[in-house]
Order: sequence, then structure tokens, then C-alpha cells
Amino acid sequence: MQLTKRQVRRRKIKKFFFGSVNSSGFLSKLFLYIILIGISFIFLYPVLKMTVTSFMSLEDLIDPTVNWVPSVMMLENYTKAAQVLNFKNSLWDSILVSLVPTIFSVLSSALIGYGFSQYEFPGKKIWFAAVVLVFLVPTILLNIPTYVLYNSLGILKSLKAYMYPAMLGFGLRQPVFIFIFYQFFNGIPHELSEAAEVDGANAFQTFVKIAVPLAIPAFIITTLYSFVWYWNETNLAISYFQGEYTTLQIAVSQFENMYRELFPGGNVGMDSASQAFNEGVLFAGTMLSILPLLVLYAFTQKWFVESADRAGIAGN
Amino acid sequence: MKERSKLSTFFYYKIRPFLTKVKKFIFKYTGISFISKKFRQLPKKTRRAITGYIFILPFIIGFFLFGLRPIYNSIKMALSDFAGSKIIDGSTKFIIEGFGFSQFKQIFTENPNHVEAILGVLGDLMIVVPLVLVFSLILALLVNKKLKGIKIFRTIFFIPVILLSGNLIRYFQNYNLLDLPGLRGGAMQEMVQLYIPGNFSNIIVSAFDKVVLILWLGGVQTLIFLAGLQKTDKLVYEAAAIDGATGWEMFWKITFPSLIPLMMINIVYTTVIYASLGNPLISAISQATVGAEYGRDYASALAWILFAIEILVIGIYLLVLYFANKRYE
Repeated sequence: MQLTKRQVRRRKIKKFFFGSVNSSGFLSKLFLYIILIGISFIFLYPVLKMTVTSFMSLEDLIDPTVNWVPSVMMLENYTKAAQVLNFKNSLWDSILVSLVPTIFSVLSSALIGYGFSQYEFPGKKIWFAAVVLVFLVPTILLNIPTYVLYNSLGILKSLKAYMYPAMLGFGLRQPVFIFIFYQFFNGIPHELSEAAEVDGANAFQTFVKIAVPLAIPAFIITTLYSFVWYWNETNLAISYFQGEYTTLQIAVSQFENMYRELFPGGNVGMDSASQAFNEGVLFAGTMLSILPLLVLYAFTQKWFVESADRAGIAGN
Repeated sequence: MKERSKLSTFFYYKIRPFLTKVKKFIFKYTGISFISKKFRQLPKKTRRAITGYIFILPFIIGFFLFGLRPIYNSIKMALSDFAGSKIIDGSTKFIIEGFGFSQFKQIFTENPNHVEAILGVLGDLMIVVPLVLVFSLILALLVNKKLKGIKIFRTIFFIPVILLSGNLIRYFQNYNLLDLPGLRGGAMQEMVQLYIPGNFSNIIVSAFDKVVLILWLGGVQTLIFLAGLQKTDKLVYEAAAIDGATGWEMFWKITFPSLIPLMMINIVYTTVIYASLGNPLISAISQATVGAEYGRDYASALAWILFAIEILVIGIYLLVLYFANKRYE
């Protein structure tokens, strides 16, 4: 059948707007983009608001007409917040407190996950259920007796309070990592480890030389998550370290009190009014505490976004 | 380059044989070689079972040390009349006295604000868990679309994965950063209250209030769903399309059933995360732990109630999913 020029043009326009069997049209794409942008706004709204507020002076905060654009950029908020947080020390403490337990947590998770995935042994299901149970029990429930336990073990006020549990599968949300490694090693056929053992390698050599190189993505992903989760932990850090280490999150959680200690006064006279505690400074402090994470995210974003896929959480 | 090769030859011909000798010597006189010989004589199945246990040994030790003992002590504290530090003979000791449900009785009969916190958290969880599930599934479906610039949106959607912390959520809540402008008290709310009667509209309105929080809680869950979506076979969809199935039908008949196992994981994850981030019950527990008014025993009882709520919510929604899954079989 011959189509007239007009019909062809009409079909082309129709295809452009409404799409065909194989591709979606302009309208549905436009609709999708609008939805995506809308959701992005909702996602970023609290952070954007926080960022904007962190640059506001006290006058801007009180002024109801100033909503999104500060009249003056108060960089002073940031210098003050850095002072209150004791930024350099806190940053270093944060890195130390997040990184060291993470290494132990990842290594022990790899071992445990490998054991669960490659070997059959009696009681395997019970122990796996135990791993799930550990994940389910709220940290606050164990926090109280664990504190007493650590006190009697004498590992409070030191990194050991994080390190020892991480070594033994009880790091922060470690069941998740055990599960990730379990899933990942499940992708490696049992025959591979069995064959290596026939060739004379012992189980540990097989693990180090065959399994670990294959599981590098799982190592990267678990390291990143563990680091971020340790970084964001506040309650445990406060109760275990008791001032020995002041991470950024601890400093942020005690921001208001610390601020009032550093900058007393603030009710008398115009000069001291600018010293008063306000949201601007608080949010500047909060931004400073999440800034290192955002930098980390900028560089490792691909690993976070593809993590579930690569770690094979969804199964095969 | 030359030096390095020299070093490696030195290592191979001098140090390595020496090390193996030392190893053999140690193994011989500590009995390790005897054990390993015996070990090799065992049947293969037993051998692998033992190796498996050695690999998970760290967890087993940890479970007895950091798992069972604290859980046992926590139960003991929650069921005691008194648990805390007391000065005996001049030194402070942590003691647990008595047995009974006095702490639970105290919670439910004397502290209405704590009962309120318990019910509040239970209600919140019942609403938040399915909403997080639905929203993260929608987000995963959106992000799974092949569009230009979708990577940028992915990057934005997964920011909560790294930023979500108790502090941040607390400040968000305290300074009303989670209230989207125009949602609370806006036209949307009025419309809902006009068309949907009674308590049900209140639930919906409170869900509106939580939109941002729900999106923020769903980062990891979206990732998990996305992974599942990318795993599903594209040929199945093509075959269904040839048979004339619409997108809607394909979602309910192919996508949804394949995601049910992941939904179970996500239900558990959401509940645990919500129950561990700041909620009224957690702050009540930490206050009770530190404060002189209630003490550790009382806090333990509250924490067990939190755990019970968690298990209850997970149980209810897993059952729902179980029956939904049955319909497909």
C-alpha cells in the first residue's frame, strides 16, 4: 500500500510523540524526566535546605522573606563550626575509627562467607540462622550488656572496642557483609576449590589464591559500606570511646553544648547576638561532617550504584 | 630491574629453603604434622566439614562471646527487679537482683509516655515499611529505564545510602527539613481529608509528612531491587510483548513474582534500619540507660519491646508476601 506524503509525515510525528513498539516517544520521555527531576528535588530538598541555611546569617534566619537565597554569604559559620568540631582532630579520629574496624570486619566476613558458601557441614543452617538473628537484634538491645562486657574485658576507651567484635563477625551490620560474601562466593563452583585441594593446596591457600582474587568487587563494596556505616555511627561510638576518640558524628551530636562552651553569652548587645547559637552554624557543622563522605561518594559512586548488582545480592 | 631479580633469586635459593626447614621443624615438634597427617586420612566429607567449621570459627567464637552472653544478660536484666552498679565493700560492682516482670509492669502501668512511644513506633513501622518497599520499587523501575542522563539521577537517588545517619535524620526532623513546602496543610492535605473519611485520611496525611524520610530510608532497598530488575531475562519480556501483553500485565505477571524474594530481604532490612535509627523509643531507651530515674534494667525491658515490635512487623509483612507468593504458584 502506498502512503501519501501527508500520511507518512503524520505517522512520523505520531511516532515522535507517542513512540513505537521499540522505543518510547517524546511525550512519555518528557513525562519520565519530569518525574525523575521531581523525585530528585524531594531527595535533595533536606540537604539543599541545609546547605543554603548553613550560609545564612542570624538576620537571614529570622527574616521570613529570606527563604532560599542568603543576603550575605556567611562563611564565618563554617570557620566557627570547624572550630567547634575541632575539625582536623575529629576528621582524623573519624577516619581511624572507621577504617581500622572496617578492615577487620571485611576480612572476617570474607572468611565466614566463604565457609558458608563452599563447605557443607552439619549445623550449617543453624549457624546461618544465627547470622540472621544477629542482624535482627537491635544494636541498642545489646548495647547495655555489651557495655558491661567490654568494661569487664577492659577494651572500652580504645579502638579494641570496635576491632575485636569486627574480627569475630560482630562488627557494625556485619551480617550484611557476610551475606554479600556468601552470595558472591556462591558464584564460584565448589569443584574449583575441591580441584585445588586435590592438587595439594590447602583450604586457606585456595581461599587466598583463587577465591579472593575473584571476589575483589565484593571486597571493595563491603569496605565502602562498612567505612560509611562506621563513619555514621554515633551512639555506639559515644558509649564505647567515652571521649577517647571524638569522631565528627560525635562532635556533631554534641554540637550545641560544645558551641555554648566555646562562645558563651549571646543575649546582651548587638555584638554578642551574632555569637548566639543558631541553625546556620549547626548546619555548617553538619555539612562539614558529611562533606568527607560526599567527596568519597564522588570518587567511588560507581561502586555504590552498581554494588547490589556486582555483589550478586539478587542471586543468579 | 637487575637488583630486583638478584633479590628474588636470593630469596628463592637461600631464604625459602631455610623457611621451609624452619616450618618443617616447628610442625614436627608441635604435633601439627601429626594432626595434618591424621586429618588427610579422614574421609573427604568429614574433612570438608571440619574445614568449613574452621572458616566460620570466628563467627562461632563471636557468637558465644558477643552474642549469646549479652543477649542472656539482657534478658536477665529485663526480667530483674534491679540491675545496676552498687557499692559493695567500697568497690562498685554491677549486680542483677530478683526475677519477675516488674520492669514491664512499670512501663505499662506507670509511664504512659513510654507506652505512647511504643505504640507510635509500632504504628510508624506498619506504615513506613510497605511505603518504603513501594517507593523503592518504583524508584528502581524508574532508574532501570534506558534514558539519557539516567546515571545522574542514579547518583542523586543513592546519596542517602552514604548520608543516612541517626544524627542527620534527627536534625532533619528537629528543624523540619523533612516537611516539603506545600504538603503539610496544603491543598493536597485538604483534598485527602475531603474525599477520604476519618482516621484513614490521617494515616495518609502522616504518610505525606514522611515522604522525604521514606525516600531517604529506601536507598539500599532501591539498589537491591535494581539489581533484581537487571537480572531478569529480557527474552521473557520480548516473548510476552509478542504475545500481546501490556506493560502493566508484564509487571504483575513477570516482574513482581520475580522480585518477591528481594522484597522479603527489603522488609527485613527496612524494619531493622528504621528500628536502629532515631525513633522515640530509642531516645527513651538511651535516656533511661543514662538517667538515674529508670536505670539499665528498665532500659533493657524497653529494648526487648522494641525487638518484639520489629519481629512482629517483619512477621506480619512476610506472611502477607508469603500468601501473595502462593497465589502465583
